[in-house]
Amino acid sequence: MILFKTFWKIVNKYKGFIMVYTVMLVIFGAINMSANDNNMDFTSSKPSISIINKDSSLVADNLENYMTDVSDVKAIDEDSIDDAIFYRDISYVIYIPSQYGDALFSENPLDIEIKSLGDYEATLANNLLERYLKVQKVYLDESASEEELIKSINATIISATDVKIKSKLDTSSVTRATSYYSFANYSIMAIVIFIICLVMSSFNDKNIRKRTIISSKSIKAYNFSILSASLLYGLIIFILVNGLAFILLGNIMFSLRGIIYMLNSLVFIFVSLTIALFISTLVRSKEAISGIINVVALGSSFLCGSFVPISLLPDSVVAFAHLLPSYYYINSNDLLKGIEVINFSTLGDVWQNILIMLLFSLIFIILNNLIGLYKRRAS
Amino acid sequence: MSKVIEVKKLNKSYGSTKVLDNLSFEVEKGEILGLLGPNGSGKTTTINSILSLLNYESGTIKIMGKNMTPDSFDIKKNIGVIFQDVAVFDELSVFDNVDYFCGLYIKDKKKRRDCVTEALKLVGLEAYKKYTPKQLSGGLLRRLNIACGIAHKPSIIFFDEPTVAVDPQSRNNILEGIEELRDKGATIIYTTHYMEEVEILCDRIIILDKGVILASGTSEELKELANIDEKITVEGIKVSKKILEELNNNKNVDEVHLQKNTLKVTYKKGKNNLVELMDLLKKYKVKYSSLYSEKPTLNDVFLSLTGKELRD
Repeated sequence: MILFKTFWKIVNKYKGFIMVYTVMLVIFGAINMSANDNNMDFTSSKPSISIINKDSSLVADNLENYMTDVSDVKAIDEDSIDDAIFYRDISYVIYIPSQYGDALFSENPLDIEIKSLGDYEATLANNLLERYLKVQKVYLDESASEEELIKSINATIISATDVKIKSKLDTSSVTRATSYYSFANYSIMAIVIFIICLVMSSFNDKNIRKRTIISSKSIKAYNFSILSASLLYGLIIFILVNGLAFILLGNIMFSLRGIIYMLNSLVFIFVSLTIALFISTLVRSKEAISGIINVVALGSSFLCGSFVPISLLPDSVVAFAHLLPSYYYINSNDLLKGIEVINFSTLGDVWQNILIMLLFSLIFIILNNLIGLYKRRAS
Repeated sequence: MSKVIEVKKLNKSYGSTKVLDNLSFEVEKGEILGLLGPNGSGKTTTINSILSLLNYESGTIKIMGKNMTPDSFDIKKNIGVIFQDVAVFDELSVFDNVDYFCGLYIKDKKKRRDCVTEALKLVGLEAYKKYTPKQLSGGLLRRLNIACGIAHKPSIIFFDEPTVAVDPQSRNNILEGIEELRDKGATIIYTTHYMEEVEILCDRIIILDKGVILASGTSEELKELANIDEKITVEGIKVSKKILEELNNNKNVDEVHLQKNTLKVTYKKGKNNLVELMDLLKKYKVKYSSLYSEKPTLNDVFLSLTGKELRD
């Protein structure tokens, strides 16, 4: 019991660190949540263009009307067009020449001229124009008059398409939950690994360990006390992280999805505990521990998509991230964002990730024992 | 008196270097045994082997009549160890540190609190019980180290060079504390390379070098081995060859050594050596600034046995 109590007395000395990382989780978690709080409604983007229409035919007017519908048309004097393009007020200009409508039905139709900035908006405007002109060309031979041609074109081209994403998911809450738990990757690793390593470095001090070995306390009893204290610490961090989630995320935490988020974090805390015990067996200097934690916690968070979405990371980084437990924790959070109906079968990939994380724990436990054994034999 | 520790034909090597060579000795109940030797003589290895912190090639170690093994928890509960390096938690207070190490032996909270308070009193740290180790001076830290090792009231205590780098006041306090522990009935094994400490403290002394026992006995018994009775030093002196010849011809003189203006004369025996030397200097009208006589020390014993000094 004295070991257990002393463990907590030492943890208490580092409560400042725990508070700092908890505050970080609240602040940065909240920022991360609001940054990703989109409602997923689809709105088509409209390029900024200008139209100089020198013709008064129905065909020319119909083209102008179509482009006005699908673009953001700005009325700019012809003399100021070049300035408007230079200052990027517009990206694309369409010149409809005089007599365009009459010439369309003749053997020598007039060309529509354009000026383009060559950027994304200009490309989009060009695509829209070409699409219109292609349809116009298709119906030109079949149409006897401008009215007939316009009717056919308008019937074919739908000037704007409304796209709506229909889902049973409360996308906003789920996105916020995923953002919170993914950011928690860093806080969990820092709080668990840093504190456990600092406490263990005290217990593992060569001289203190010698005193413990020569005492009447058996090594088994010693290990049991340390292990149970570490597990209790992990449980407290689990309650802390998920307690904050209940406060910040609200209703979603009372759903089955919320329980899976919590289960995923519980397994990840367990993995972090095994990493902490492994590092503390490997490294005994408190100064070195601080540096190692930064590399492990920050590195894992950056590489596995805790701070930046994994979709934005290069393939080589993602491939490397597969070697880290954080990847599977964050991947599960991302999967939970996309699963519409939560049941055992739809959670297949999440179960797989949890299994991989437990496998990582097993590897760290085995490595910890092997290195501990080697060190004991060497000394 | 009964034997508390029995070490027989203990052998230990590091690679090809033999650090303990057929080491055999016994420690009687209630005595303070001093293990004296220079750095690297095998003192700490002997203690670590006795405590089963180290494996050894051959030999037997019995404590309280039982073979000592890493799992001898019934023996270990009677043992206290004060290592050369301070072993305390930086994060805990003085009281909590002693409480932790005492708690490895005593479960009862009230009994433990009494033991911790008593240990802090013995080493004079009662006023510092709320301090952290970082707030203590080197001497106070050593005292805390001792309190951590003795709080559970062990009957056998190992002190491994507890006074290294300690100020004189703390050293005296530590030595007084050890005597008090002996008076309370503890058996103590004390290792050091400070011969003055073993002379003051120990009932019996073992002189070790290169893992071999060179000599053992009481301080007086060991000094007889040096074959020296008295050393006289004369400072600020200019002596002639005649005086040196006369001294060398004295049958009681073992060695005459002149270095710059200091003359050192070692006598094998004789009762009035100091008076005789003063008369000789008076006879030749030799002036000097100071003159003093010393009895042989354990360093002289070590010197006569090995040809080198303890602190070489």
